[in-house]
Amino acid sequence: MIAAKGFLMHARHPLAVALLALGLALPRAALADEAALQKRIDALEAQLRALQDQLTAIRADAKSAQASAANAQATAEKAVAAAPQAAASGTAAVAAGNAAPPASMAPYAFPQIGPNTVLSSYGEIQYNVPQNSNDALADVGRFVIGIAHSFTDRTRMAAEFEVEHAVTSADDSGEAEVEQAYVEHDFTDHASGKAGLFLIPVGLLNEHHEPTVYYGVYRNHVETAIIPTTWREIGVGGTWHDDTGWTVNAGLTTGFNLSKWDPNSDEGRESPLGSIHQEGQLAAAKNLSGYAGFNWRGVPGLEAGATVFYGGAGQGVDFAGKDAKVTLYEGHVRWTPGPWDLAALYAHGAISDIGDLNATFAGAPTPVPATFDGWYTQAAYKFTFGGGQQLGPFIRYEQYNTARSYVGLPVGFDVPTGPNNKATTLGLNYWLTPGVVFKLDYQWLRPDDTQSRFALGIGYAF
Amino acid sequence: MKRRRFLSGLAVSALVPPAFATDYLSIEGAQKALFPAADRFVPLSLARGAAALRVPDARVAAMHAFTAYAGDQLVGYVVADAVIGKFELIGYAVGLTPERTINGLEILWYRESHGYEIRQPAWRAQFTGKTAASPLRVGSDIANISGATLSTTHVTDGVRLVAQLVQATTA
Repeated sequence: MIAAKGFLMHARHPLAVALLALGLALPRAALADEAALQKRIDALEAQLRALQDQLTAIRADAKSAQASAANAQATAEKAVAAAPQAAASGTAAVAAGNAAPPASMAPYAFPQIGPNTVLSSYGEIQYNVPQNSNDALADVGRFVIGIAHSFTDRTRMAAEFEVEHAVTSADDSGEAEVEQAYVEHDFTDHASGKAGLFLIPVGLLNEHHEPTVYYGVYRNHVETAIIPTTWREIGVGGTWHDDTGWTVNAGLTTGFNLSKWDPNSDEGRESPLGSIHQEGQLAAAKNLSGYAGFNWRGVPGLEAGATVFYGGAGQGVDFAGKDAKVTLYEGHVRWTPGPWDLAALYAHGAISDIGDLNATFAGAPTPVPATFDGWYTQAAYKFTFGGGQQLGPFIRYEQYNTARSYVGLPVGFDVPTGPNNKATTLGLNYWLTPGVVFKLDYQWLRPDDTQSRFALGIGYAF
Repeated sequence: MKRRRFLSGLAVSALVPPAFATDYLSIEGAQKALFPAADRFVPLSLARGAAALRVPDARVAAMHAFTAYAGDQLVGYVVADAVIGKFELIGYAVGLTPERTINGLEILWYRESHGYEIRQPAWRAQFTGKTAASPLRVGSDIANISGATLSTTHVTDGVRLVAQLVQATTA
């Protein structure tokens, strides 16, 4: 029996093992009781199955290695050819021979331009027809190219370059801008820091603003007029997260420059902070700002969070608003049970110590608001079809006021606050694939319903 | 022709292995985490399932599959795989019982700037009890993680493929 076991262990062919096993088992079966015999047969079957598994795997590995060695280029092209099918399943293959994947198991069909360097892009084109107006517009809203590079397992950089409105020159309305450029380092598996020009982690849209991510042809009003998405500052920031769903963000950055305020322009009424942001362009940095916030995602599908941003806006400029401070806080929640996507957000902004500055703006149409705020709620439902197609009807209701209150206006020079804008948007997102979206919506705006509009859009992101 | 060369070049550059990864768990660690009672993990070929499901060879070659035994007793299957999250690779391992019901999902490595929430036990626990017959789709029986849509979708798609391959291979 010992000899038989030894043979079983060293036999290379499973059939030989099987024959020997049966040959040994059958004569003894005549002498053993039925239960013991069955037990032995089960054990031998298990051993046989294991040996068959091993042999199959060895053959498959050998075949794969031979094919790879024979024609690596053919393998690469085959990988590209196979990519659509892999992409359709939402995956791109690599292998995991160990924790770090070996070369034979690397990804394919991935826009990688070099080791540890990846290319990304997103863009959107919009067409809108305002109600009661002939001012229909078609526009390449934005085109963005991004690059990310990993220097080590824990240190990486990311940058995005954006062109808005297609053409940028002294005579055109377009803008070319560096939207992000920062270096990030993981101190531990749960703590990281970044330095450079980066997006402030605020609200639902600012960090995740690609057209494939949000509903509607245009970004919502609250996270445009009150939170000046895409809002970025130069500075340092840290993130800590744990396995129970908590994420905490904090940082020290550049802030707003109130000396840029133009009381004769509508820009400050469209977006108070959007009109005085600096975007890393020769940013006055006498007064730094700080932010702190959290998100909790402890229940799958749920995100709840809040952020506060505070900082001086005088920036050392000798003017009546040199002591001004900007405060912005927001709270948000998003819940995605099954195909539903429900979201709500409230944001409040304040600019303090502006009485003396507004006194100098007497008679101007756009003094600095002391407070401004807005909120929205949104409901969407995603229908999923084959090939990654999805259809997402949605409805969103917003209220926002970019001039909730004023201080310091001289008697007789009052400027009306508000208006208290209301926007209802009903629309449809259609994802041809997860990276390509077609959109249409209709937006009712009050009190100025001449701006109510029908809009079409196309967007992509990868 | 130029396009073909470009694609080939792209593929070759893509085949360069990522040299860096933040590792949370080795495959061996995942095996033990998924089947603590197992004392042997025997390599398992998924070729039969791949042929039945018409999954490309290159895709299946990217996986490492094992049959888990406790003594002579079959206790389950483990498949290690990786998918692309948004920009970077996510390594993961799926455990399935002998009845091919998912009994766990482990994240092996992750190096995206966002989306690390897929490591949370609460999110991974959604897969437990699912089978190849389950939808296993984000927005259906698997909840999304806000801000990590691509990571959650691609890992979920990967797990679905693994469940179907194991089912087709071992049934």
